[in-house]
Amino acid sequence: MTLLELIDTCGLEGVLVPDARAEVTCGYTSDLLSDVMAHCPEGAVLITVQNHKNSVAVCTLVGAPAILVVHNRQIPDDMLDVAGREGVALLRSAEDQFAVSCKIGAALAKTAV
Amino acid sequence: MTMSEIADVLKAEVLVKGEGIHKGVRHVMASDLMSDVLLVDEDDMLLLTSLASDQVLRTAQIVGAVGVIVVNGKPLPSSMVNVANDLRMTLATSRLSKYEACVAAHAALNPA
Amino acid sequence: MSATPETPGVPDVKPEADPAGNEPLVLLELIQRLKVRDVMTAQLVTVPRSATMLQAQELMRQKKISGVPVEENGRFFGLVSIDDIIRALVAGTIGEVCSRHMTTKLVVLEDDMPLSFALRYFDRYHYGRFPVLNRDQRLVGIICQRDINRALLVELTRELRRLESSSVQNVGQDGTTSIYVLREFPICKYDFENAGKAANQIKQLLQEKKFPPKIIRRIAVAAYELEINLCVHSDGGVLSWQISNGRAEIVARDAGPGIEDVAWACRDGTSTANEWIRSLGFGAGMGLVNVKRVSDEFEITSKKGSGTTVKSVINIA
Repeated sequence: MTLLELIDTCGLEGVLVPDARAEVTCGYTSDLLSDVMAHCPEGAVLITVQNHKNSVAVCTLVGAPAILVVHNRQIPDDMLDVAGREGVALLRSAEDQFAVSCKIGAALAKTAV
Repeated sequence: MTMSEIADVLKAEVLVKGEGIHKGVRHVMASDLMSDVLLVDEDDMLLLTSLASDQVLRTAQIVGAVGVIVVNGKPLPSSMVNVANDLRMTLATSRLSKYEACVAAHAALNPA
Repeated sequence: MSATPETPGVPDVKPEADPAGNEPLVLLELIQRLKVRDVMTAQLVTVPRSATMLQAQELMRQKKISGVPVEENGRFFGLVSIDDIIRALVAGTIGEVCSRHMTTKLVVLEDDMPLSFALRYFDRYHYGRFPVLNRDQRLVGIICQRDINRALLVELTRELRRLESSSVQNVGQDGTTSIYVLREFPICKYDFENAGKAANQIKQLLQEKKFPPKIIRRIAVAAYELEINLCVHSDGGVLSWQISNGRAEIVARDAGPGIEDVAWACRDGTSTANEWIRSLGFGAGMGLVNVKRVSDEFEITSKKGSGTTVKSVINIA
């Protein structure tokens, strides 16, 4: 599913979307960056509360094209800057990790054949 | 759906059968930040987490969770089993990732 | 130093005790609070310089003491100990005056020294007793191991009785019966093995006494957040809680490092936690905010470089 489709289907806020057509193949839900580094699959949207630039760095490392910040946490400027430079999309949702993971799961399941 | 039934759905291995093992799960939380868990006022909650520490169980007891499932097939320190026994808190591990566990739990709780 | 036969059960006291070790906080606080003058024997048996060693020995035997200060009008000259007596007996000088055979190279203590200082001296010098002088260098007492043991035993018993008598009695759901719970938990810095245990115990007790679930949750959350705070952000301290007159009061007290800007510390999402603490699931900076959220009254006093006290009150009635 493309980022744009994901944003539309799940009612997410697209804070920074460098490439609306970037493909998201799955989700990965974690607030522990060490865990993200170890297990996050390539092409995943990282679902987390960790609203800081380190999350972006880890996404670049594992090849995750987008971060979805939950609980409506504010995205600080330095996170925006790094994301812009690295080409990582930043999305936002007012819901919690569980709710939003389920939504994304449902959305991605529909497109899977 | 009870804690025990959800554990089955997630193919989780139950290490400690706590007081709430047959209680109905009314809310699921997927978080690794104990401070966030402490903000939630829900009852009969299942906690899905990547964090394998004693404090996960202690936090779960404080907020009245019915159980804790640690994801990613993480091996748990034996101290966690001891603490779970002391607090009579159900503790299980699942090979699924937290995202997969959320999706599976949601499907089980909301059958089509 | 171990307990003398007359006072069994008094715990070993190590002068350089580490608060994060096994010493109960009560004991540490006692040896810091008590002064030498609180513990010493002030009713002094003394001899003048002109008394003979034999007279000194006779006095020691009568009064059942192991050392006699040599003093005149408060002016202190030396000490005659049993060792000195034995030496005099062997040398045949037992009939001579004390001033010739007393020990003059002495370590003395001052009456307003904390007991913790005195303990260090006992440990370092291995003397059985120390003369105690006041600011004017007058002899005001003598302190030996037995005095310390006796004083600690008395104080500890008093402290224990106070703690034991504060037990939960007839807790009613309306909380208006004058019930009294008081528990104190020492919390050590970075002690993650135990972090949260006190709050878990508090919750268990509240559940046994069948308090309303929502009240239990609030008290438990406040206690847990304050306990973790002590563990992660302080040099260690005490978490205490009490229930009386329809109010639950949870207090976290530490001796450092102090908060520079209390208002900043109480803001959402601020934290001084390091990466390692965060990796354990703590340190997201919500602790004090959350305590405030669940409390009916919230008070925090702190000074950078000294201690912090946080108090949470939750109304039960």
